[in-house]
This record gives sequence, structure tokens and C-alpha cells, in this order.
Amino acid sequence: MASLITCPHCGTRPKEEFSIRGAAAPKRPSPTAKDEAWHRYVYVRDNPKGRYEEYWHHEAGCRRFLVVERDNLTHEVFGVTDAAEFKRGGAAE
Amino acid sequence: MSIHLLHRHVLEDHISGFETDPNPNHLSVIRRPVIFSVLARAGHEAEVAEALWNAEDVAPRLCGPYEWLAVSRTVGAETVEAMLSEIANASVIDQSDGRVLMEISGPGVRKILAGCVAVDLHPEVFEEGRSATMLCCHAAANIARTGKDTFEIIVPRSLAGSVFEALMEMGREHALTRGFAD
Repeated sequence: MASLITCPHCGTRPKEEFSIRGAAAPKRPSPTAKDEAWHRYVYVRDNPKGRYEEYWHHEAGCRRFLVVERDNLTHEVFGVTDAAEFKRGGAAE
Repeated sequence: MSIHLLHRHVLEDHISGFETDPNPNHLSVIRRPVIFSVLARAGHEAEVAEALWNAEDVAPRLCGPYEWLAVSRTVGAETVEAMLSEIANASVIDQSDGRVLMEISGPGVRKILAGCVAVDLHPEVFEEGRSATMLCCHAAANIARTGKDTFEIIVPRSLAGSVFEALMEMGREHALTRGFAD
């Protein structure tokens, strides 16, 4: 497990300060989407090996949601962004 | 005077027995601090931060990108509220009863805090006036360096007892004393 996370607001912090809130890649369906779409979003998740984007909540620090891009095999962390900026960047694509 | 019954401090039960003279390493619990939480509206963070840093009698503490604590040990809550509510695009709420303010000082303070905090508190990294929210004795605490060997710790009231006990335990080998301060 990646043990040191560099929060864009707080600096380098131990992983105990965070709680992991699941994969960041799946797109949330619209509220009126079919039940199948919601079922897929909530329950049918990939379990990839390797590079992985994940929501981390900095509970004991700035209390912001972050998106941590890490390798779940080598524990290497590639980048940490604020979830608000991650969303903005995704919308621009 | 019934005022002492009304304002009984949470750590009153933890600081019992006779009061000793403070040692060089001392933990003082501030009896009646004024602590306000300040939140900025999106897009106005910089101006709110500037106004907060220019405010008199109030020490700003950084919590997050849009969030601060304003701490005062000299003026009353009404004065601070009147002052902070003048800041445009900020939401202000009194947290004085929900938070406990402790001040730890002395030559061994960094060694004591090293047992509580997993963040580098070296003066070159965490310089005077700097503050941040971090995990301190398993509780999310706001820690600020107010002097070379002085730190202020703000913890939620419900966790203050356990944080206080843990701090005293870490300070035992450094002969840490404790007491209330006004």
C-alpha cells in the first residue's frame, strides 16, 4: 500500500489520514438512467492490476476528496489531484 | 457565582489533584478560547484569507483550501464575530464550545510531538506561524507553530480527553507538566 501521499493542499502525509473511496474512473450515470446502468455503476466494478485512479478522502487533513493515481502492484504513486479539478479536467475532454 | 458550573471545562476531570509548578516542558489547556470556523465561497478564497490574516486580535489557522479557524485568546466571542462577519464572501460560525485549545511548549516539544504526529515539524519545513490539520494521537487536530518551541493544538471537544492523555503519556519521559491557563 502506498504509504505516503502528497496532498496538493497539505503536503506529504501518511496514508492513515486518508480513507479510500473507490475507483475514480467509472462515470456516474444520470439520475434517470436505467436500473441496469446503475447496477453496473454500483456493483459491477473492474478490479484492475497495475495503474489505477482512485478517490481518496483526506479525512484528517483538508477534508477534500483527492484522486490518487497509483499502481496497486508496485505501490508507486504517479500523481494526486483535487477531485474538483479532476472533474473539471474530465469535463474539458 | 455559578459561572464555574456553567463553564466546566472538558478536561477538568483529567487535570485533578494538586497543581505543581510548570516544568520547562509544559502543556497548558486554555480555559475559554474563542475559536471560529471560517469558510470562503468558491472563487473568493484569496480575498477571505487576506482579510483573515489582516484581522486584529485573531490568529488564523489553516484547515483546508477554503477553510480556516480563527483563534483568539484575548478578545471575546462577540467582538470576534462582529469583526469576522464583516469579511465579504465568508461564512463564520462559533466553534468555541466544540473545540479544545492546548498549548505545548518547552525544549523537548518536538520529541514529544514526534510520538503523536506523523508530519515533519522541523522549523525549516514547518516554520513559525504555519498551521495545518493533521492526525495527532489518532484524532484530526489543527497544529500551529506559534513560537520556536511552542505549538498550539486544537482538537474536537469529544476527543480532547484521549488526545490529552496520549500527550501526557508521550511527555512523561520529558517531565511534561499540565495545567489550565486563561
